[in-house]
Amino acid sequence: MATKKTYFQGLGELANNPELEKFQEKEFAEKLPTEAFLSDNDKLSESSTSRRDFLKFLGFSTAAASLAACEAPIQKVIPYVVKPEETVAGVANWYASSFYDGNDFASLLIKNREGRPIFLKTNDLCDKGGINARIQASVLNLYDSARLKNPLANGEEASWSSVDQSIISGLEAAKTSGKQVVLLSSSIISPATKAVIDRFATKHNAKHVTYDALSVSAMLEANSDSFGVRTLPTYHFNKADVVVSFAADFLGDWLDAGHGKDYASKRNPSVATMSRHYQFESNLSITGANADYRTPVKASEIGVGLVNLYNFLAQKAGVSSVKVAKSGFSTQLQKAANDLWKAKGKSLVVAGGNNKDIHIVVNAINDLLSNHGATIDFSIQSKLKTGNDSDVTELINDMNSGKVGAVIAYNVNPVYNLARGAEFASALKKVELSVSFSDKNDETASVMNFVCPDHNYLESWSDAHPYTGVYALVQPTINPLFNTRQAQASLMSWTGLGADFYTYLKSYWTKNILGSTSWSSALHDGVFKTSTTEKTPAYQGSIDSAVSALSSLSGDSIDLILYTKTGIGSGEFANNPWLQELPDPITKNTWDNYLTVSPRFAKELGLTNENVSNGALDGDVVDLTVNGLTLRVPVLVQPGQAYKTLGLAVGYGRIGSGKAGDGVGVNAFVFADNFSTNLSGATLTKVEGEVHGFASTQLHHTMMGRDRIVKETTLDAFKKDPTSGNEQMLLATHKGPQAPEKVTLWEEHDRDVHWWNLSIDLNSCTGCGSCVIACHAENNVPVVGKEEIRRSRDMHWLRIDRYYSSDMTQEKADAEGVSAIDKFLEMEVASQAETLEVVFQPVMCQHCNHAPCETVCPVAATTHSREGLNHMAYNRCVGTRYCANNCPYKVRRFNWFNYSDNEQFDFYMNDDLGKMVLNPDVTVRSRGVMEKCSMCIQMLQKVKLDAKKDGRKVRTGEAQTACSIACDTGALTFGDVLDEKSDVFTESKSPRAYHLLEELNTAPSVWYQTKVRNKEI
Amino acid sequence: MHYESPIREPLILEDKTLHDITEDVARPIEGKANKYWWALFIAALLAFMWGAGCLAYTAGTGIGVWGLNKTVGWAWDITNFVWWVGIGHAGTLISAVLLLFRQKWRLSINRSAEAMTIFAVIQAGLFPIFHMGRPWLAYWVLPLPNNFGSLWVNFNSPLLWDVFAISTYLTVSLVFWYMGLIPDFAMIRDRAVKPTVKKIYAILSFGWSGKAKHWQRFEELSLVLAGLATPLVLSVHTIVSMDFATSVIPGWHTTIFPPYFVAGAIFSGFAMVQTLLLVMRKVVNMEAYITIKHIEYMNIVIMVTGSIVGVAYITELFIAWYSGVEFEQYAFLNRATGPYWWAYWSMMTCNVFSPQFMWFKKLRTSIAFTFFISIIVNIGMWFERFVIIVTSLHRDYLPSSWSMFSPTFVDIGIFIGTIGFFFVLFLLYARTFPVIAQAELKTIVKSSGSQNKK
Repeated sequence: MATKKTYFQGLGELANNPELEKFQEKEFAEKLPTEAFLSDNDKLSESSTSRRDFLKFLGFSTAAASLAACEAPIQKVIPYVVKPEETVAGVANWYASSFYDGNDFASLLIKNREGRPIFLKTNDLCDKGGINARIQASVLNLYDSARLKNPLANGEEASWSSVDQSIISGLEAAKTSGKQVVLLSSSIISPATKAVIDRFATKHNAKHVTYDALSVSAMLEANSDSFGVRTLPTYHFNKADVVVSFAADFLGDWLDAGHGKDYASKRNPSVATMSRHYQFESNLSITGANADYRTPVKASEIGVGLVNLYNFLAQKAGVSSVKVAKSGFSTQLQKAANDLWKAKGKSLVVAGGNNKDIHIVVNAINDLLSNHGATIDFSIQSKLKTGNDSDVTELINDMNSGKVGAVIAYNVNPVYNLARGAEFASALKKVELSVSFSDKNDETASVMNFVCPDHNYLESWSDAHPYTGVYALVQPTINPLFNTRQAQASLMSWTGLGADFYTYLKSYWTKNILGSTSWSSALHDGVFKTSTTEKTPAYQGSIDSAVSALSSLSGDSIDLILYTKTGIGSGEFANNPWLQELPDPITKNTWDNYLTVSPRFAKELGLTNENVSNGALDGDVVDLTVNGLTLRVPVLVQPGQAYKTLGLAVGYGRIGSGKAGDGVGVNAFVFADNFSTNLSGATLTKVEGEVHGFASTQLHHTMMGRDRIVKETTLDAFKKDPTSGNEQMLLATHKGPQAPEKVTLWEEHDRDVHWWNLSIDLNSCTGCGSCVIACHAENNVPVVGKEEIRRSRDMHWLRIDRYYSSDMTQEKADAEGVSAIDKFLEMEVASQAETLEVVFQPVMCQHCNHAPCETVCPVAATTHSREGLNHMAYNRCVGTRYCANNCPYKVRRFNWFNYSDNEQFDFYMNDDLGKMVLNPDVTVRSRGVMEKCSMCIQMLQKVKLDAKKDGRKVRTGEAQTACSIACDTGALTFGDVLDEKSDVFTESKSPRAYHLLEELNTAPSVWYQTKVRNKEI
Repeated sequence: MHYESPIREPLILEDKTLHDITEDVARPIEGKANKYWWALFIAALLAFMWGAGCLAYTAGTGIGVWGLNKTVGWAWDITNFVWWVGIGHAGTLISAVLLLFRQKWRLSINRSAEAMTIFAVIQAGLFPIFHMGRPWLAYWVLPLPNNFGSLWVNFNSPLLWDVFAISTYLTVSLVFWYMGLIPDFAMIRDRAVKPTVKKIYAILSFGWSGKAKHWQRFEELSLVLAGLATPLVLSVHTIVSMDFATSVIPGWHTTIFPPYFVAGAIFSGFAMVQTLLLVMRKVVNMEAYITIKHIEYMNIVIMVTGSIVGVAYITELFIAWYSGVEFEQYAFLNRATGPYWWAYWSMMTCNVFSPQFMWFKKLRTSIAFTFFISIIVNIGMWFERFVIIVTSLHRDYLPSSWSMFSPTFVDIGIFIGTIGFFFVLFLLYARTFPVIAQAELKTIVKSSGSQNKK
């Protein structure tokens, strides 16, 4: 039985009181006397709220309302609605992945914070490949604002479905008309990608053409001639007692980024045999800078020299020698030959350049030395470069003759990096369908019909088979930022295979590679190794034709070498501001390419460099003509450069790369006809009245006789006395000679928890700059741009000082009675002799335990930690710069401007995309504060907290800094010297260990290890 | 036998009576400014405004608008600071030290010299504040109780000592100066006709009525303040020099700096006093009070301190060589022969050679020549600070970091601005303050017996 309930508000309602009902209808119980009030003027005028008051209130509330309406700073903190299982805010995840860009391969661990990849380090499970500055910086490419956000159809943004439709019909049309479909790519080392390409090629009857911007085609051809296999071997610099390199920049960009660590392992004077390294080259490369004996050689005379070396060795081997002109540097060659022969089977001869004849002779020399199978390993092949130069030439011809119906460009930029780029672009007009996978609207993409932007490698699935027996996986570490699609997926969808490359990859691996290993464990490791080896081919070469091509000196023409810089490489990363601002290891210049000219030649041509009033370097400008092509380039006078040979870096002069890379330098690829990087017949005309401003981070190039900055000795002296070159410095005191640390006013710090030290081995440091970029990435070091670098305001926390030897020395001045003024003037000039020596010295905050900076800060913004570090409290800093002035190492960097969110510094810290690369553990500094190396204090805190959480001590070697992680060659050793098991403890006790400027008794926490050269004096 | 002892030369010429002095001192205040004053004032004001604009630009944009770099972290800013502090030395020296030594000739010039001191220290004080990257936090250098945690200033830092030294110096100088002004303000008050003017000077003169008790307190306080101020003459520039002397930079790390800086400061201070007074005595007709005698005395001080500075320069060179420290040797060689040789030799010429002309009485009593040398010395002393700061920093220990410095328009603008500000203050002072301590001056009217002989 349903009952209808009634509720009542009071007893009156229950009793149905009519009075109450009347009241209930009204809002107010009694009528408000408004009319009476308003009509009574007398009362109104008495009212305390006058008209003026009313206006005041009105004014106030308007002002208050408008103030409240002013825009408050918007802070975008977006919480996870559903927290991803693996993500804990503030805790980094590391994913194994791989990098391959057509040049370098590295197996990596990628640091991911809150879903953003922000830092890379090498994956120790893979002993091949290696990290360099470019790979280290590649994380910033992900957040490049110039990346395409959508596919383009004829320059307009379009949808994937419409683009796919047009491309498929275009491909069909090409097939029906019987024209070629060409997939033009750089070398591809991904087996799954190759499988997709095969399927695509079968379906569309496509031809796959491969070329490398930095081609080693000649070397492949030479190996094909000498061994019958068109392949690259792997080189074991770690097994070579003697290395002779003919212009091979193997510590730079020669074949593989992994040579540095192998080489460095033989450069430690404490190992059984430290290697001896001869370098014959025209440009001063970082490899040459590290050599024990370096001979500058005119580019066109390298071949003759090489054949001379062959003859010296043939003589020793009892083989008939060949006819050749006498080389201008046979003394050095003879010496190298003697050393090589002594180290037969444990030596290595390598050569750079893309000249087949040279490589044929090199193969013969290594055969004479029985190096094949010992230091040169054909059983483990390198697959990193497979490009074929002649195929591209043929392609352009085919395109011109209208035989090509479709061109798909994958990871190549032919319009930019082919010497015949312009011809390629015009030939492209005769091709009905052109598609680029470029992630930017670059030189090539902009002349193509369709651009189907590829993911960045950090957003992609892929794999790699870089060496025999080594497989690696690439996994995405972030969701695609834009509406892009992996190139493989694009190809699959045009082949009718769907667009799920991940599934394809996984099934490919399970079927073909993994065997019994599980996919997840391979993915976890990032690398999968098998014990497969290739059959070693026998040497079957003949050098006759090569020798006849090389054997005569080419006369007196001016040669030009096209080289790569460690930062910019082939120019693919030109829009990476970290790399643009990374000083070239040798010239220390940033944001530029330039013509390097030897001092003697520059003098003859009347070309000069000079410093303007604020120290910045200016250079003359020339018109450089080679084979009828002219470029206007600035001149940099380069010590160590061979006379009459010029150097010009490729990778500059980009268009469409983005805001940082466009318009920087000139494109030198235009000269590289037939992929030759070694050209003759250059002419120079000085452009009168034009000067070019360089942006150099180091303006002074010699040590000015201060030999205690970089202490040096020779291997022989070191073997006799390990402290040689590192003799204890003594100061004269009233108590007699005393070590600087005994002459002190300082009270020692307690050393009870940790005592962090960093040791820098000057023998292992090759100067490559990888640590500099790692430091930028980890510590949010700002990029300041060319103009500010010209004002000597780089912000690098870690710099690599490069010093040239000088012809004037203290001893020479004493012997010859040179006056002090003349002595120092001559010391400022780098040596003009062939025996020029170069040293690299990484310098960061030395974390002095008697820190000059700490005593002078008026507000105690920089203080000492109880772990031996010099702290910098940005919040407390008022910016007097006194600390920087009083720093004898000049490692402190001042924020002259606001470098983030500032239109004037339009690099990456002023856009939301670029800012994603910032490390959330490190403050972005505001203007007006001092900053400097913190020894990656955030990483140390993490290690200590982890240990504390686990209730254990910090493990030996657990604590690292970004630079020590990034250093492939082991030059930087970080750790706790209170832990006697640590490497840094051993290093700090080494007879080679010294403190920079020890006479000041600043008691740094950074050690340097004496540089030992393997040379006779 | 009649022996007549020689009559002291009078300190005030033209047989001024006490009333004459009152009239002469009150005239610029009570009269109207002439067109020269206006021209100078407008020029100074424009320079000041330009400098203020440059300062605002710096504070708004960043220190990057100056020419500094990673190697040279101080240049014109601290050069100007030390220069102005140095100029500020003469006032206290004249008023305090000469008072203690009972040098009565000081009385015609001490007021203006002290005014100059205060205005110069104000200019100097701008630089430490505005050279900071974050000048809005300048108060952090004061040991204020705060809620930032346990943050306190760093008493090891010479820059902190500067804060104390400069502020103490400014305070004591200001009090000393003001105290001396009280009887003179009272004189102006008593003569004032307009009620507002009268009221203002009445407030400024603190109710001075010239009672014997007032005079007694006045004299006592003068003596006490002179005693306090005298050590400051030595301490201020000693401490400023410690900014450099306690550092590790070759060229800065020098124990000779304290006396060398003090001598340099007195040197430049007197030169600036000369520059100002030579103009002022002409413009406001004070030739009778600021006599050739004064000018000559001050020239002798300039000559002596200039020679002390010269000895210091040469000692530095000697010690650099004698120390055997290669960094030190190079630093000094580089000063004299490096890229900034012109600054070094400008300094040498202006500071060491030019004052030597003062050995000749004819030259040191020549007004035109004195004026010329005073300007030269001021230029030279600016270069001295520039040489010490920039040439030491630009090439220190590691040649990899060696660089150069070149000023921007902002650096120059701020310097010109402080000169403008200084003259704005000084010109306003000359029109509103009694420029000669007339009350005290009247005590020396009869210091010579020459009137009695008439």
